[in-house]
Amino acid sequence: MSEDLKAKVLEAFCQRSKGEKKMFYIRDVVKWFPDEDRHAIQDVVKALIEEDAVKYWSSGSTTYLVLAECYPKE
Amino acid sequence: MAKSDTPLLDQLGGGKWPSFIDDMKQAAKKKPMAKDLLGQLELSYKEKIGHWKHGGIVGVKGYGGGVIGRYSDCPEKFPNVQAFHTLRVNHPTGWFYKTEALRNLCDVWDKHGSGLTNLHGSTGDIILLGTTTDHLQECFDDLSAKGFDLGGSGSALRTPSACVGPGRCEWACIDSLDTCYNITMSYQDEIHRPMFPYKFKIKVAACPNDCVASIARSDLAIIGTWKGDIPIDQKEVAAYAAAGLDIQKEVCNLCPTRCMVYNGRELKIYDEDCTRCMHCINLMPKALRPGPEKGATLLIGGKAPIVEGALLSWVIVPFMKLEPPYTELKDLIMKIIDWWSETARSRERIGELIKRVGMRTFLRAVGLPALPQMVKSPRTNPYVFFWPEDIKQKEVK
Repeated sequence: MSEDLKAKVLEAFCQRSKGEKKMFYIRDVVKWFPDEDRHAIQDVVKALIEEDAVKYWSSGSTTYLVLAECYPKE
Repeated sequence: MAKSDTPLLDQLGGGKWPSFIDDMKQAAKKKPMAKDLLGQLELSYKEKIGHWKHGGIVGVKGYGGGVIGRYSDCPEKFPNVQAFHTLRVNHPTGWFYKTEALRNLCDVWDKHGSGLTNLHGSTGDIILLGTTTDHLQECFDDLSAKGFDLGGSGSALRTPSACVGPGRCEWACIDSLDTCYNITMSYQDEIHRPMFPYKFKIKVAACPNDCVASIARSDLAIIGTWKGDIPIDQKEVAAYAAAGLDIQKEVCNLCPTRCMVYNGRELKIYDEDCTRCMHCINLMPKALRPGPEKGATLLIGGKAPIVEGALLSWVIVPFMKLEPPYTELKDLIMKIIDWWSETARSRERIGELIKRVGMRTFLRAVGLPALPQMVKSPRTNPYVFFWPEDIKQKEVK
C-alpha cells in the first residue's frame, strides 16, 4: 500500500470535514480519487481505520466514515 | 393492590399469547437495565413516540460492525439504559447448538448485558440486547473465548444463513450448511469491515421449499434444485389415492404450470414444464422424489422495503453444481459485488440497481448469458430488451 496515497486520503478527509458534512460513505471517498483503483482506496481507508485516524459510524443499516477528531461524542 | 408502574405494557402482557413483556419483567427482577427498559417502553406507549437514538459506536477493535449503538433520549429518567447497545453474534450455521453453547452465551450476556436476547434476528444472528459502551470489548473477548464471533451489520456482507439442510431434511439437494459455513469463513473481511454501498445478504436453502425464505430476504439466494425427471413410484401414488388424497384437486390442479396429469390410476409428469416448486413432492413424499442430478439455482436482488419497495429475487443461474471449494460460486459472488460496488448509488441494494440499469447490463457486467429461465414474468410481461448488436437486421425487399 502506498504511504503517499494514504497521506492523500487522510488529507482529503481533513479538507472535506471542514464543512458541515463530517460523515462520508466509502463511495464518496472513492469518488474523491477518480484516477485511483477503488480497491486501493478501500485498503487505504481500512489502514487508516486500523490506525484510528478514521472511524466507522454506523446507524445499524448503513456505515459511514468519519475523521477520528470529528467523531460525534455519543 | 399496588398500582402498576407499567399499565400499558400490562395490557400487552395480558393477551392470550406469550408476550415479550413477561420476559422483560422477569429480567427486570435481577437487572436494573431491564427495569429501566420497561419504564422507557411504557413512556413510549404513553407518548406515542420512540425514545431511542440510533447509531454511533460500531464495534470492537478491528471490527466495523456487529454492534449497533443505541442510546436513550431521556437518560435522566432512565439512567440504566443511557447506553443500550445491541450485539449481533454470528449464529452457528443452521442454528444448531449444544446446550453447553447456549449456557455459555447466557453466562456471557448475564455478565456483560441486560440478559435480554432475541434468538434470532431477521438475518439469523443471535441478538444480544442492551449493554454499555465499557462492556463491549470485554463482552466480545468473552464471546470469542467461547467460540463465538460478531456478525455483520451496516454496509457490509451480513451474516450468511442457511436452512438446516441435510442436517435434518430429506429434501436437501445441496449441503446448505457447508456452503454457508464456507462462504462465512471466506468473506470474513467483507463481514467485519464494511466497504459496500449498502447491506448485502446471502442465504442458502437446500431445496426449493426455501425454508429460509431466501428468495424474498436475501440479495443472493442459493436454492438447491435438481436436473432430470422426478421419479414416480406409481404404487405409492395409488396408496395416496386409496388413503383419500384427491390427487387431481390437491396435486394436479395446484401445480403452477399444470405439468401433471392423473387418469385415476397413474400419474404422469411433463418434466420439461416443471418449475420445481416442490408442491407435488411435499404432498406425496413417498411417491415422488427430487430428480437425480443435484445442484443449485442462484437468484439475485431480493429485499424488504427500506429505501425502496420490496423485491423478490430473480434467477441468474438456473443450475450450478455446488461442491467444495465452491470456486465457481465465489468467483461469481466477487464479480457481482465488484460491479455493484462500482456502479451502485449510496444505499442502493443490488436488486434496486438491476431494476434501474436493467438485467441485460448486469448480465453483461458479470459475464452471464441471458437464458429463458431469467424471464421474470413469462406469462404477463411481453417485453424483452436486446442489445442492438444482438438483433440481426433483416433486409426488407
